[in-house]
Amino acid sequence: MANANHATPLADGQGAGLLQVGRTDLTKPIITIAVLAASLVILVLFGGEQVFPESITRRFAFVDWVNQAEEWLQANFRWLTRGISDGILLLLEPLEEFLWFAPWPVVVLSFALPALAYGGLRLMLLTIFCIVLWAGFGMWDDAMTTLAMMIVAVSICVLTGIATGVLCARSDTVEALVRPILDTMQVMPAFVYLLPAIFFFGTNAAAATIAVMIYAFPPVVRLTNLGIRQVPPTMMEAATSYGATRWQLLTKVQVPQAMPSILLGINQTIMMALALAVFSTFVGAGGGLGDQVWKAITKLKVGWSLEGGLCIVTMAIVFDRLSQAMSKPPETIKLAPGEMLFRLLPQSWEKFAPCRWVESGIDLIWQGTAAPGRALAAAGGEWVARHIHLVMGACILSAIYLIDAWFWSVGSYPRAWEFSIREPVDAAIDWLTVNPAFIVVTKTMKAWMYLYFLNPLDHFLTHLPWWYVAALFTGGVWMAAGWRLALAVLVSLMFCGAAGLWDLTLYTFAGTVVSVVFCLLFGIPLGIWAANSKIVDGVLRPILDLMQTIPTFVYLIPALFFFGGSPTTAIFATVIYAIPPIIRTTALGLKQVPADIEEVTRSFGSTRLQALWKAKLPLASPSIMLGINQTIIMALAMQTVTPLVAGLGLGKEVYDAMNTADTGKGLAAGIGIALMAIMLDRLSHAMTANQRRALGLS
Amino acid sequence: MKKLGLTALVGAVVGMAMSVPAQAGGVLKVPVPDWTGGAVTCEILHTMLEGHMGFKVKRITMPSGSALDEGMRAGDLDFGCERWPGYDATKDKYVAEYGGDGSIVYYAPTGIVGQSGYYVPRYLVEGDGALAPDLKSWEQMNQYKDLFKTLESGDKGRLIGCPVAAWECEDAKRLETLGVDFVVTELGSETAHFAEMQAAYKRKEPFIAYAWEPHWIFAVMDLVEVKLPEYSDDAWPASDWGADVTQWYGPKELADKHPEIVALMNKVRLTNSESAEMMLRIDEKGEDMEDVVTEWVEKNEDRWKAWLTN
Repeated sequence: MANANHATPLADGQGAGLLQVGRTDLTKPIITIAVLAASLVILVLFGGEQVFPESITRRFAFVDWVNQAEEWLQANFRWLTRGISDGILLLLEPLEEFLWFAPWPVVVLSFALPALAYGGLRLMLLTIFCIVLWAGFGMWDDAMTTLAMMIVAVSICVLTGIATGVLCARSDTVEALVRPILDTMQVMPAFVYLLPAIFFFGTNAAAATIAVMIYAFPPVVRLTNLGIRQVPPTMMEAATSYGATRWQLLTKVQVPQAMPSILLGINQTIMMALALAVFSTFVGAGGGLGDQVWKAITKLKVGWSLEGGLCIVTMAIVFDRLSQAMSKPPETIKLAPGEMLFRLLPQSWEKFAPCRWVESGIDLIWQGTAAPGRALAAAGGEWVARHIHLVMGACILSAIYLIDAWFWSVGSYPRAWEFSIREPVDAAIDWLTVNPAFIVVTKTMKAWMYLYFLNPLDHFLTHLPWWYVAALFTGGVWMAAGWRLALAVLVSLMFCGAAGLWDLTLYTFAGTVVSVVFCLLFGIPLGIWAANSKIVDGVLRPILDLMQTIPTFVYLIPALFFFGGSPTTAIFATVIYAIPPIIRTTALGLKQVPADIEEVTRSFGSTRLQALWKAKLPLASPSIMLGINQTIIMALAMQTVTPLVAGLGLGKEVYDAMNTADTGKGLAAGIGIALMAIMLDRLSHAMTANQRRALGLS
Repeated sequence: MKKLGLTALVGAVVGMAMSVPAQAGGVLKVPVPDWTGGAVTCEILHTMLEGHMGFKVKRITMPSGSALDEGMRAGDLDFGCERWPGYDATKDKYVAEYGGDGSIVYYAPTGIVGQSGYYVPRYLVEGDGALAPDLKSWEQMNQYKDLFKTLESGDKGRLIGCPVAAWECEDAKRLETLGVDFVVTELGSETAHFAEMQAAYKRKEPFIAYAWEPHWIFAVMDLVEVKLPEYSDDAWPASDWGADVTQWYGPKELADKHPEIVALMNKVRLTNSESAEMMLRIDEKGEDMEDVVTEWVEKNEDRWKAWLTN
């Protein structure tokens, strides 16, 4: 989630801060140990099951207030929300019908041709493979429904998001106002708003589209804002001095300059929209890949749900690769004299003769198909020549349409070409489920995590007096990030306490801490390994992509089979979901450390390990901190689904509230999760800022 | 030109066909239950509505529960099939008999009667090497509690209890009152509940779990009930469950909008055994639900014909 939210490019590493980092400062460890000791004493003296003062929780009837407000809104504002959903359906339904009834090659080529134009043959083949997979698994119609929803949701997000981003970039007040709203949108569990959305927006695809938009909207706003703010002031001055109006300044200078950043935002928005695609089934959107995944998991069919999940993953891959290819300038490959340009195989294989034969064949076809295009460009004048890809694409698509309508009906994907991975996947899962050695490993892991991490931490936090925990958190944050944030933390804690969520909040906190610790324990070494080995990096990369885009529901069932249902299983599922960013950012941070740093340290006689430990890791630490930050947010986002596998805490409260249609209760717990995420985010940012200053990077 | 003319003709015909109001009954939007038994019940009613009453039913996949109520209250969903009052977490909010505002109505029993209980796998109590041969009822549970111990349950046994907090199960209270030294694990969702049971079953591990009939899980696992004291209002929850008489239900507007559907609901009665048989064929033998239901319709012509006559 939100890879690029805080994508501050790592500044050139400078050695200046190294000395400061090397110095050992004993104050902090001493304070930490003292506080821990004091806490243990307090635990022994005052410890026990803790309750927030009832006199406060009774008066703070947040749940009732929200439910009354909801009733009022239901009575008075439904015409407005229904109008909005009618508008969305007006866009969505024709698109969906078009995609359903279009001959399937037209849909394939609508993506494959742009892929060819922007990314070459390799991207085109990847795109075709991904899209044919939807049909191959027999989920074409559902994929088209999801695709239509994605297109509409993302288009609306992009249009309104860029406008909001521009407004934010113009005014600091607007930005300060919008930022917490965006944060809340991203971390608020979807189950909080899915149920009320049904009444307001209907049991249809419009409600699902709106839910998707709530989650996917923030990145494009953030990155538009960031991009425009990073436009060099000199450039603006130059434009103003030539007499540009504000509108011209915006459309001719700021937006074009910020385009790479905006495109990254759009890319992120698409990824997040797809991450929520599965939830469409919860509002009865009618069809879609979410239905397939849900039907499969309610019947415990892992293979089937994996097929549905893979359709979503491949959709994400198509959108991701295509939008990246479109936003980058065309790659120019430097060829040695006499070397042949490879279109399909890796260029480094050029030395092998058989590969050259294959490529010659491809080249022949390439030139052959390009010839009519060139002829058309020559004949059609300047406009055609400039938009030759577009014109050719339109010609091909119309040709298929004509053939389909007049001569030979292409229709839908032939059933005989369908294939399935259900049986082998189910067999593999079954085999693991009953494999004694594997189960011993999973059970040991589970026991270990429960006995040494989750249980002690949870017990510790929930048995300390509430006023002491509140003071501890506030004081700690004060020391780390100043009084403003400390005050915000205190207010948040009081909210959770007054809303009657004290122990749930602390449990969620403990679970998040344990998940994040496990992510770091495994993620940082993996990241270091990936930074040092191209092979590991190459293997890891697609796996991480898969882990981030596959619907979490898909791996919940195997997790249950292997670990059994328990809060500890929920922690494992959270680790799987939240580990990718820390691996990625560790690898990225280490790779960005200039090579001469290692040379210098090595020339002073340090070993490779020392160079890594004393020089490279500290320099990469801002990047790693960014990864930790994202891992924390994702671990909290996982609160949305862990209640389905016996996870406890605020997420469960939200889920129970949905089951009993209690919006107020769900919202209170949802706000608790959002507040925790925002506080942890701000805290890690403040700490990163300190770190960066210490390193002389900012 | 001939083809163009033909296309225009076809287009005109299609256009005319579409402009005529679809059918006498109109289009209904109905959520399909996400468990096989409920889906079968629903499909039989749909067959009647589509085949003999001129409706077209749009079947919506969505998780059962509160979301369906919201859809019905908002007027987007027309009715629902097979509601289990015991698992209805919102009935005290929406169903008048239970103190709700009356926006959702239980129209008539479906004939399917649910029965909940605690179950153990047969391999645990029967055959050679059975680990708990004497486990017949709650009275022997303490004797075997070590078998069911887990890390989280400490010295006590572990019961895989009712998965959803809002269902009427009262597992913890029942065990406490009966003096059974077990802790209850609530797995959060029906899916997690049966996933856990299925994995333990495949590994032949001991487990004791809450389950209810009719359910597809009995088609894939051989389970034996552990008896509880007989149900009575006074003893509850220290007793077995009462019968859960499942209901056809819908928004209160259904009675005005489509009285003929309510009239049909009042007649359609299925039985547990026929539902269980169809479930078995669908879930264990992998047959298509439509085929199974069509076969039922062919075989039971007398019964459904009587439902359709006024």
